[in-house]
Amino acid sequence: MEYIGEHLLPGQIGHFAIILGFTTSLLAAIAYFFAAQKRNLPEYQSWRRIGRWAFTIHGLSTFTVIYCIFHVMLNKYYEYQYAWAHVNDDLPFHYTFPAFWEGQEGSFLLWSFWHIVLGWILIATAKKWEAPVMSAFSLVQFFIGSMILGVYFGSGESEIHIGSNPLMLLRDVMDAPIFAQADYVEKINGNGLNPLLQNYWMIIHPPVLFLGFASTIVPFCYAIAGMWTGEHKAWLRPVTRWSLFSGAILGLGILMGGAWAYEALSFGGYWAWDPVENMSLVPWILLVAGIHTNLIARSTGYSIRSTYLFYIFTFILVLYSTFLTRSGILGDTSVHAFTEMGLENQLVLFIMTFLLLGLGLFVKRYKTIPAPQKEESTPSKEFWMFIGALVLLFSSILITVSTSLPVYNKIAELFNPAHEALNIKDPVEHHNKYQLWIAVLIGFLSGFAQYLRFREFNWKKYASKFTIHSAAALLIAGVLTYLTTQWIRVGAWQYLLLLFSAFFAVVSNIDYLITFLRGNLKAGGSALSHIGFGLMVVGIVASGLNKRHISHNKFAQQNILDAESLEKNVLLMRGEPLFMNGYLVTYERDTMIGNERIFEVNYDKLDKNGQVEESFQVFPVALYNNEVTKVAAFNPSTKRYLDKDIFTHIANLPSVEADAQARKAREDSLNYQLFEGLIGDTIFTSSSYAVIESVNRQPSHPDYVPQEKDLTIGVKVAFRQVEVDTVWYAEPMLVLRGNLMYNYPAQINELSTKVRVSEKIIERYFPTDEQLDYTGFRFTEGQQVNFNGYQITFDGFDLKPTHPDYETVEGDIVVGAKLSIVSLESGKQYQARPIYLIRNNRPFNLKSQLDELGLHFRFLNIDPNQKTIEINIAQVAPERAKVPIEIADNSFRSDFIVLEAIIFPGINLFWIGTLLMLFGLTLSIFYRRQRKAAAA
Amino acid sequence: MKKSHIIALIVVAVSIGLMLSLTGDVNTYANFEQATESGDRVKIVGQLSKDKEMYYKPEEDPNYFSFYLKDDVGTERKVVLLSEKPQDFEMSEQIVLTGSMKGEEFVATDILLKCPSKYKDEEIYIKKEQSEI
Repeated sequence: MEYIGEHLLPGQIGHFAIILGFTTSLLAAIAYFFAAQKRNLPEYQSWRRIGRWAFTIHGLSTFTVIYCIFHVMLNKYYEYQYAWAHVNDDLPFHYTFPAFWEGQEGSFLLWSFWHIVLGWILIATAKKWEAPVMSAFSLVQFFIGSMILGVYFGSGESEIHIGSNPLMLLRDVMDAPIFAQADYVEKINGNGLNPLLQNYWMIIHPPVLFLGFASTIVPFCYAIAGMWTGEHKAWLRPVTRWSLFSGAILGLGILMGGAWAYEALSFGGYWAWDPVENMSLVPWILLVAGIHTNLIARSTGYSIRSTYLFYIFTFILVLYSTFLTRSGILGDTSVHAFTEMGLENQLVLFIMTFLLLGLGLFVKRYKTIPAPQKEESTPSKEFWMFIGALVLLFSSILITVSTSLPVYNKIAELFNPAHEALNIKDPVEHHNKYQLWIAVLIGFLSGFAQYLRFREFNWKKYASKFTIHSAAALLIAGVLTYLTTQWIRVGAWQYLLLLFSAFFAVVSNIDYLITFLRGNLKAGGSALSHIGFGLMVVGIVASGLNKRHISHNKFAQQNILDAESLEKNVLLMRGEPLFMNGYLVTYERDTMIGNERIFEVNYDKLDKNGQVEESFQVFPVALYNNEVTKVAAFNPSTKRYLDKDIFTHIANLPSVEADAQARKAREDSLNYQLFEGLIGDTIFTSSSYAVIESVNRQPSHPDYVPQEKDLTIGVKVAFRQVEVDTVWYAEPMLVLRGNLMYNYPAQINELSTKVRVSEKIIERYFPTDEQLDYTGFRFTEGQQVNFNGYQITFDGFDLKPTHPDYETVEGDIVVGAKLSIVSLESGKQYQARPIYLIRNNRPFNLKSQLDELGLHFRFLNIDPNQKTIEINIAQVAPERAKVPIEIADNSFRSDFIVLEAIIFPGINLFWIGTLLMLFGLTLSIFYRRQRKAAAA
Repeated sequence: MKKSHIIALIVVAVSIGLMLSLTGDVNTYANFEQATESGDRVKIVGQLSKDKEMYYKPEEDPNYFSFYLKDDVGTERKVVLLSEKPQDFEMSEQIVLTGSMKGEEFVATDILLKCPSKYKDEEIYIKKEQSEI
């Protein structure tokens, strides 16, 4: 079939660029390999030139692929599967980025993009390290390139595919009847971006995190290069800067993930020990351990072997993390892993290749890696720094082992199909239990080790200075710990110890910064990082242990399961304040903007006397899906103070508000009863009585959007209850749009009552003339006639008449008849204005009707000679003039929200601490002390 | 004895200790029968019984949601979740619950849903006609 409207060019260019990029990465790896092997020979130059060209073409090809994908996404070319799956017509421009890295292919390309940028910087700056580093580097690119290759071998069951091509056409991937139409392209729309990801964090967090992951490749490749060339000491210097950079960026990426979770998602915290989070943290911990041994090695020559291993495993763990998140293996245990895509085997091969390469080379070179014969002296900095690195290693092993249980289960299942899957009973408690001790040790070590000196040779003389500073820091830390217990509840002694060690880290490093570095901030990267670490731990203890739900009310919720009840949530009725833990909380109103429903919740903080001390509003959001039929997510809103945050989010909405299907089901399940009455009549329901106040032909309703040619009718009903003064008004309406009828019911939440206009009103209030039995009358001005108990007078002509259905057209001759009607029974007076007009030499008339009386008037003719007019009058039978409404008094209230509110004390210490830690790392990139001079 | 040997010994000892204590935190998924027998806090995997009643009336208690779950040996029990009803609950393929038996009911405090991928149920959206709303 010849398809119309497809844009095949970007796909063809993209396919070519994928293949070109893939092959040139292999070429670069090989060329650089020979360049490294012949590094002292004349051939070196030409091999390196080939390597550089190959890597450059590889980079440009990959950029072309990315450009092609963006091109099809921005232009909404839904003939491409990737565009179809990730964008739609309504998606704003800036969300094209998250849409790009939402898919696995896009995130591989993002990773590859950063690698290429880093690779080019290395080519420009690495000098003699370029060849061996870039050889390993290009090999990694070769493997990543294979992930987007999309090559198929064999067929049917035995089909093997390598990679998943992001530029496949939709019709090649899917089988659907629409592809039988040649012009299918213009008929389809995309799926759009998951509303959960339509968030600014999703624009900034992934690029930073991926730059962090990508940058771990540099220390890895330097480690390979060091072992390869046998220059075990020379590589330690250029690599440090890269490791520090990687530590800062990866740390920032992880932190931004925590901030996103805390600020925009309703996880209720910044860290949940979710497997995906864990596996991004582990490489960072290993990298930090590596940075420490790297510094030891550069200062003393010890720990070169462990530096190699730490840098190798940092990268391997990044690959392992990629495997865990992308293979679907975490499905049971993680809330945010990708689903399976058939790349598992490829990923395993990827990890194994580099694990064997790194470890194989390490084993082969082990003997030649220099290590001083003499042991470190016990009171030396290098010794305790190394112990610190070991503690970090333990931390990462513990996290990795627990997080890898699903992998263990999978492997055990291969050997024993009856294997019962293992899991961690309570992951948060489990991880906290172990990591608490890690943090205690790191806290103390980072203080004591800071005071120690490298290659301690005169301990006797130095010991007293060390002791004085340490003792002073311990004392101050003790005081601070005590003061903190006055502010927050700390509880168990383990936490007291943790707090104490964290304060010790803070105090000792401040002291070190002032007395040892004499306030030289530029040299203080390490001290600042350790202060940051301490503050972070204090923040974790404060906000984690003292995280407190304020959203419960003991009196409002007598829970049957009191002992175990979590009492997390409260129910708030709109406009009804509820007291909870010192706050009077009111759900004021909500507004729909796009697919976001924004709720306004007011907090009044009350003092002891019940007076309002402070008022503030928060605006939590219910985010609907792209079709606005169902709530997709709830986004929190947080009131920030210096010492605490008040975090508020909507836990649930009435099902009828959250889901269009539930709304329909509820509407169908309501037991509506028909009531009929004339205007002014009173009707009685089981719980209240109501008066039909009026019928309105131009009604309004919050959900009704007027359109031309709509016929509308609304009824206003006033509800009252015995012995209650309040009057509740309901104004339901009905719309006729062509042949379709739309019902807009009205809900009175306070009475759990729902009212709608019965369809019967249509034939009653919009009767056709066939249904009416007109009687003809002739009037002269001032003349009166009697009709069905009404006295009708023709008061004269109205030369500028108005009528709801009449629109002036030029050339019209139009006149209205002023009729006044008096009911002989009640003496009430009414007015009617039927219209007669001549348009294009043809006569027309527009009738006037009195709904209360059921009277219809038509102005048929004027006789200018006898000065009489001809009026047709009809009245519908009295029972037909009754207003039919339907009332359900069993409807549930739908004007409430289920709210969760949590106080996080001291959470700012966590953010400040982590940022300071990363700032310290960054500072160290630019300033490294002249250790050579110090050592000499 | 060299210092590095002492450290190595400590490392090995701590590792063994940690691995042993780690097994204490590890559990297999239980079924309702085992949960009744032991009375402990356990994890249960199962599927939602879609034909049975799901009860969540936040206007009565926002922290009470009950439904029926069939565990992996096919036993069906009523489950009470002491929390709000999770999003997309009906769409779940598999449910992992943490909690314990209280009489005939399983009282859960924690829930994890495994939902089918957004794009697994692939259907092509046809562009809406301009005249429709």
